[in-house]
Amino acid sequence: MHSKNILLVGVGGQGILTMGRILASSAIRRGVKALTSEIHGMAQRGGSVVVHVRMGDVESPLIGIGMADAIVGLEMMEVLRYIQYANQKSILVINDRIIRPPMARTIPTKNQIISELDRLKLKYVIIDALNLALKAGSEIAENIVLLGSLIATGILSEYIEITDVENTLKEVFTGRALEVNLKALKYGYDACRQHVNENI
Amino acid sequence: MTFIGEFDLVHPLLYPPGSVVLLLGNEAIARGAIEAGLGFAAAYPGTPSTEILESLADVAEHYGFYVEWSVNEKVAFESAYAASLCGVRSLTAMKHVGLNVAADALMSSAYIGVEAGFLIVSAEDPDMWSSQNEQDNRYYGLHAYIPVFEAYSPWEAKELVKYAFNFSEKFKHPVIFRSTTRVSHSSGPVKFDVVPSLKSTGRFVKDPSRFALVPAHARKLRVKLIEKWRSICEEVNNSPFNKYIDNGSRRLIICCGTGYGYLMDCLKILGVEGKVNILKISTTVPAPRRLILDALGGCDVALVIEELEPILERDVKAMAFEEGVECEIHGKDLIPLIGELNIDKLIHGVAKFMDVPVPSNFLNPLKCNIEIPTRPPTLCSGCPHRASFLELKWALAKSGVRDVIFAGDIGCYSLGVDEPFKVQDIMLEMGGGIGSANGLAHASNQFIVAIMGDSTFYHACIPALINSVYNKSPMLVMVLDNRITAMTGHQPHPGSGFTATGARVDEVKIEDIARGVGVKCVETIDPFNVKDSIDKLVKAIKFVLENRTVALVNSRRACTLMVVSNARRRGVRIPRYLVDLELCRACGICYNQLSCPAITPMPDKKASIDPILCFGCSVCMQICPFNAIKPSETPSKDWEEVWRVN
Repeated sequence: MHSKNILLVGVGGQGILTMGRILASSAIRRGVKALTSEIHGMAQRGGSVVVHVRMGDVESPLIGIGMADAIVGLEMMEVLRYIQYANQKSILVINDRIIRPPMARTIPTKNQIISELDRLKLKYVIIDALNLALKAGSEIAENIVLLGSLIATGILSEYIEITDVENTLKEVFTGRALEVNLKALKYGYDACRQHVNENI
Repeated sequence: MTFIGEFDLVHPLLYPPGSVVLLLGNEAIARGAIEAGLGFAAAYPGTPSTEILESLADVAEHYGFYVEWSVNEKVAFESAYAASLCGVRSLTAMKHVGLNVAADALMSSAYIGVEAGFLIVSAEDPDMWSSQNEQDNRYYGLHAYIPVFEAYSPWEAKELVKYAFNFSEKFKHPVIFRSTTRVSHSSGPVKFDVVPSLKSTGRFVKDPSRFALVPAHARKLRVKLIEKWRSICEEVNNSPFNKYIDNGSRRLIICCGTGYGYLMDCLKILGVEGKVNILKISTTVPAPRRLILDALGGCDVALVIEELEPILERDVKAMAFEEGVECEIHGKDLIPLIGELNIDKLIHGVAKFMDVPVPSNFLNPLKCNIEIPTRPPTLCSGCPHRASFLELKWALAKSGVRDVIFAGDIGCYSLGVDEPFKVQDIMLEMGGGIGSANGLAHASNQFIVAIMGDSTFYHACIPALINSVYNKSPMLVMVLDNRITAMTGHQPHPGSGFTATGARVDEVKIEDIARGVGVKCVETIDPFNVKDSIDKLVKAIKFVLENRTVALVNSRRACTLMVVSNARRRGVRIPRYLVDLELCRACGICYNQLSCPAITPMPDKKASIDPILCFGCSVCMQICPFNAIKPSETPSKDWEEVWRVN
């Protein structure tokens, strides 16, 4: 089955749905079949959000357990919440950010989360998306920063390139929003490239 | 945080014919209707159906059809249905439980039939992602003698909607298009076709013997309905959306709706593609008898895959029994009955049926060993409902009322079911809170508060409010009026002052309705003015206790998400609030009793406000007993102005 499965996870309001749409549109622009599906319940209210993106030879929109080629986490705890979708070959692109659920009594630390990823022998890159988004001009561009990082991992290279995502952004955004998002995409891409280079 | 409407998106439904566009299933349904020559659409919002009418409203002016958000599903159904009787192709859309509200009209519509094509879109929610049940509305089709068609993907949805319109017009009969969350809320590539010229007005040709269901007419129409149903049962055998794939096997899988997509992927994963015959069905009600019997004929064993109830399965088993077909038929013994389907759920049943092993990734998934806290949805920071709940509880305590039942309803405020508020003791259906409050008021000796949102008030609460006046039900009715249907993503309602397409109209005021039906104590509060709100609530509670009848308080403040989105678009600064740590005594009222997500306790239990999450509602400042919370800047005039959104 020739396909790629990308799971996007995070918290309601982080722009995960937009991210999924931009990713899938970029594939369709290249004539690649792409499906996305969102699972969010009442998540505009700060709940957990998951978007499944599937590309290539696929007929249904949801990724099976252990079948994600990549997981992009806009929040660290959310990556572990959906870790059953990963396998030993998956690449995880993770935002260096923890968002505390309002009524939670205790939450794991960043170090605990990273040790857990190490224990599971998973490959991951941690990206400081909030600061890169702020550098690009808006705290709400974290999603596009991480989209840039995902492209930089090369996991989707048989289907899409960074220019396809840029072209989609140009179709979807205008004015300052476009400027900010193009910068965010590039910053995320570069940050991840640097990471990959350092670790090879 | 990203907000819808922040950026200027090119509307996906406006691409030219020939384009391949990534469409949400609901947008694909809308596009199918447009390509079928839609002239009229009416709906009430409800997840997962909302984007159908929302996207139609966005492009209504461009294409020239009429679109409205109706006050509820019953009115939406009746409006769209009447348009069809005028010869205008029409559509109504609703979530599955919305069809319960419209069921009376639905049953009658089958007797009368239609003129121009009329489509009822029922968007269902297996797994109850945002619903109170997972009812399968294909039963409504069987119940009412109305065909039910279902698609497996956005691209099929668009084509099937067009087919359904033609089918409806050919048989002069309504058609239900059944979608589910995974069709409505999945996106995929959809190829656009030409939009024909449409008709948005027609003429109603009088014929009471057909359109007026008095018993004498209804009896004759019932006979005609059964005749028509027989021809429909025959016609579905010819639908191009029912497809038989003969792989020369003695095994057969029959599937409908979303089941087809999951099945095809499961067969690939299991490496048994092409090793089983497949009958894919889109006209589930009525089931295409000839196709099913032909497919069953050459097989020893069959499996029926469908989401939720075993409707097709029972039909297939009945047909096999009636015709003496010797084939072992499986269904819900191998495929889960509860919840939505997916590859993970289907793989086990399909593997067993195909007699192959389940791949190890499905059996031994990676497991996280550290505890991840749950992240239940909460009221947003700065939500006016949070302030209203706090004020209500404090006013009840101040009035010495302890034994209270909170009759709740469907909307964002349903989240009040959780800590720390716990103000949703009963929650049945839209409008169910005030109705059950009537019963509670007479059958218990506790104090009764009915809580509902503004959109819900107009939707189904008004008859119950009249009932409470008529039958003198002692209770406090609290309306949480955030000026919009917030839960489903900000659709306007009769109190908003504008329509689906943005035209300004007069507001229908909740207070006017309450006074008009005879409620003697009607108060309006601004939940962001804590002291005044508590005073007025205390007054209303006293009225109920003294007069043993109904009082109504309307808590009016626009939805914060909508306001913040407008503020960002207009470049208005949001005043953030800060904690003065010298003055904070770590009492926890702000983070425990108000429980705003922007406020968290620090290790010494003093409060800290996250400046990214704070939306400047000022309620925490007003309730702090030590005056430890202050604005970072004086709120601007523009900030005050942006709250008066409509």
